[in-house]
Amino acid sequence: MILLTLRRLLSAIPVLFIVSLISFGLMRLIPGDPAAAIAGIAATPAQIEQLRRDLGLDEPLLTQLLHYYQGLLQGDFGKSLLLGKGVLAATMERLPVTIGLSLYALVLTLLIGVASGIIAALRQNTWVDQLAMMIAMLGISIPGFFLGLLMIIFFAVQLGWLPSGGYVPFAQDPIGWLRSTTMPAISLALLQAGLLARITRSGMLEVLRQDYVRTARAKGLPERQVILKHALANALIPIVTVVGIIISLLLSGAVVTEALFSLPGMGQLLTQAVLSRDYPMVQGGLLLVTTFLVVVNILVDILYALIDPRVRYE
Amino acid sequence: MKRLSLSTGLVAAAMALSAAPLLAAPFTCPTRGGDLVFGQEANVNSLDQMTSSTISTRNIAMNIYETLVTRDENNKPIPELAESMQEAPDGMAYTFKLRQGITFHNGKVLTSADVAASFDRYKRIGLQRSTLDNVAGWETPDAQTFIIRMSRVQPTFIEALSSFSVPIVIIPAEHKDDERQQLRPVGTGPFRLMEFVPGSHAKLGRFDGYKPNTAYEQRTGFGGYRVACLDTVTFRIVTEASARVAGLETGALQVVEDVPTRSLEGLRRNNAITILPLQNWWIQIALPNTALAPTDNLAFRRAVQAAMNVEDIMDAATDNNYRLNVGFQYPNQPSYTDAGKETYNINNQQRARALLRESGYRNEPIVILTNRDYPPMYNSALVMEQQLKAVGINASLRVVDWPTSVQMSQRVNSTEWHFFHSGWGTQPALGALATMQFLVSPGANYRPKDDKDDPDVLAAWNDMNNLRDPAARQQAFARMQRLVLERAYAYPFGALTKVQASRANVKGFTPFRIPRFSNVWIER
Repeated sequence: MILLTLRRLLSAIPVLFIVSLISFGLMRLIPGDPAAAIAGIAATPAQIEQLRRDLGLDEPLLTQLLHYYQGLLQGDFGKSLLLGKGVLAATMERLPVTIGLSLYALVLTLLIGVASGIIAALRQNTWVDQLAMMIAMLGISIPGFFLGLLMIIFFAVQLGWLPSGGYVPFAQDPIGWLRSTTMPAISLALLQAGLLARITRSGMLEVLRQDYVRTARAKGLPERQVILKHALANALIPIVTVVGIIISLLLSGAVVTEALFSLPGMGQLLTQAVLSRDYPMVQGGLLLVTTFLVVVNILVDILYALIDPRVRYE
Repeated sequence: MKRLSLSTGLVAAAMALSAAPLLAAPFTCPTRGGDLVFGQEANVNSLDQMTSSTISTRNIAMNIYETLVTRDENNKPIPELAESMQEAPDGMAYTFKLRQGITFHNGKVLTSADVAASFDRYKRIGLQRSTLDNVAGWETPDAQTFIIRMSRVQPTFIEALSSFSVPIVIIPAEHKDDERQQLRPVGTGPFRLMEFVPGSHAKLGRFDGYKPNTAYEQRTGFGGYRVACLDTVTFRIVTEASARVAGLETGALQVVEDVPTRSLEGLRRNNAITILPLQNWWIQIALPNTALAPTDNLAFRRAVQAAMNVEDIMDAATDNNYRLNVGFQYPNQPSYTDAGKETYNINNQQRARALLRESGYRNEPIVILTNRDYPPMYNSALVMEQQLKAVGINASLRVVDWPTSVQMSQRVNSTEWHFFHSGWGTQPALGALATMQFLVSPGANYRPKDDKDDPDVLAAWNDMNNLRDPAARQQAFARMQRLVLERAYAYPFGALTKVQASRANVKGFTPFRIPRFSNVWIER
């Protein structure tokens, strides 16, 4: 297990290097003047020119690349042009919002997706199965943005149950946090829950036809034990794979959701950084988010090994 | 040295007012208390007004910081932290006496040393430090006196100094070495910063030590007699327009900016909400690239001018929230002139075709550069494209994002575009001088070849800046506007109205260039 973890950690190094290089190159390939973006529409040409000089945007590309890697090797991700503060500090301010939202959405995804997938598989070809799959299809089809707007109109404007936007940190007020993140989490989760429900259903159907399930039933085990211990445990492999992907989808989906619900997370930060051509923030932010995703994938790999002994013996 | 009006001449009345005895009772809050939440459309990256030109920064920071001189309701320079100002007869010095007993949010008493330190910081990193180009230095002979010594006479200096674009806000002297965008938020304004979470909100609280300017009875512009009636003001960043409207409807937000037209009808039916149109938000404008054929040809540019139906362009650009407007100032401004009005909204296709023939145009492709970040710019470009096609111009759009379009438009001798769509907001609001700088080098917006100005336009600009007589400067502005319009160096289409809205129980909130929260209260 330790060897497996080490192997995965080592393989992450080239991934992170390539991501850092791509993000550096891509940002420079995109046309657009960071000074014009940061100065805003109200700025005069003279103010933009002044800002360009102040930000040191006139350095040669190679020099900028060298500075970038020199900084990275010392743990310095650079300084945001837009915010005037360190990229790491800015990310650490925003990342908890996005991670909290994504985890909440993940819990909802797992609860809704796995449960409805299992029920649909157990009631295959009945109205329950068809209803569950219809809802799953609806979840996959409705854009999160549109669903979010509908929820705002219904739950915030009409019923007044939940706030239409804004964020309350968990540490400050857990109930407030729950209220401010419930609608964004649902709008994020439904899309992924639909996907997970369909995968769980097909995985369960596959497993339920296996001989060992038939044997378990023939032995007279209670149905609950057959489903949860024998069938679900074996159907978990594809589910765990999808969960890894879902976490990255939730993180990227947060970009739109955060804007709609005015949540100060990484999605908003990176969107603004890209639109403003805030090179250090995009480079550093992407690298840090990638690191987070790499860690998630390593955890998924470790989970494989725990669930499926064959992985450990490979 | 004699007491003078502020050098522009625009401020004589204001200065006289500062010395006049008060006849009416000053403003008092009908009710005090409450938290007002303002739904702001754009993110705020920093509250350092010295190094930021963004409107979103100003929205918040102008309630925290103050300046020596600012602008009144009619955009005239007025004293703010200064009690009086004297200009030397030769125009080479300005002496400011500070108001007594002003304290910063940290409790420290304001002295001229703080003013000098603020100017020091601005000169080091201020984004508009060219304001101090003609300044030789400053002195602080005593704690209440601040003298600016000029290196050459600049009759428009006070107009520049009172600009709210990137103002020289007065900060405690010990903050003068704060780095760019890292200024500690301590000012002398009626509100102090309580909490700032970038991307989420900024919360301001009433500054109990605030001393209103007793030279006035009421708030005027960004100055005057200001009182914080509200306990707190929260600026919540709500970038999505529908979410802002929903927040207003639920009462989670009490005031919002930039209400989309599609929501107006529903909001008007709601008695709990007041719609607040903010006229003259910006001048919708297209600019030619005169370094490139055929837009280097005056007859061609005039053909384009003649082809355009400005009402259709403004209607599409603004969802019918506009006013027709000639030139670069608005009729409510003292500097407004309709010089060159015969070039406006000609809408004569026959004349356009005749001018096209005169120009020798041979169906060359014409590129209209625009962006989708600002829908009015995209929509106006779209209509312009159709109107040009209607007279036989082979026009097409090039749509990029705002930073790219600015970058492309600012390249000297660019061959990538012929017309660039933009919106001029803050500068026209500041006055003719601030606006017309867009039309002179460096970076003259009509992009003359090698960035070399039209000598006639430049001469008018120099007169606008250097003539001592304010009336003569105004004439120079009229001359410059006429030249720019007649030579078709710019196509200003009209004035866009931005719509704000508030809950009906919010009182005293008058739409202005930057939302003001002093003298605003919540009715119970």
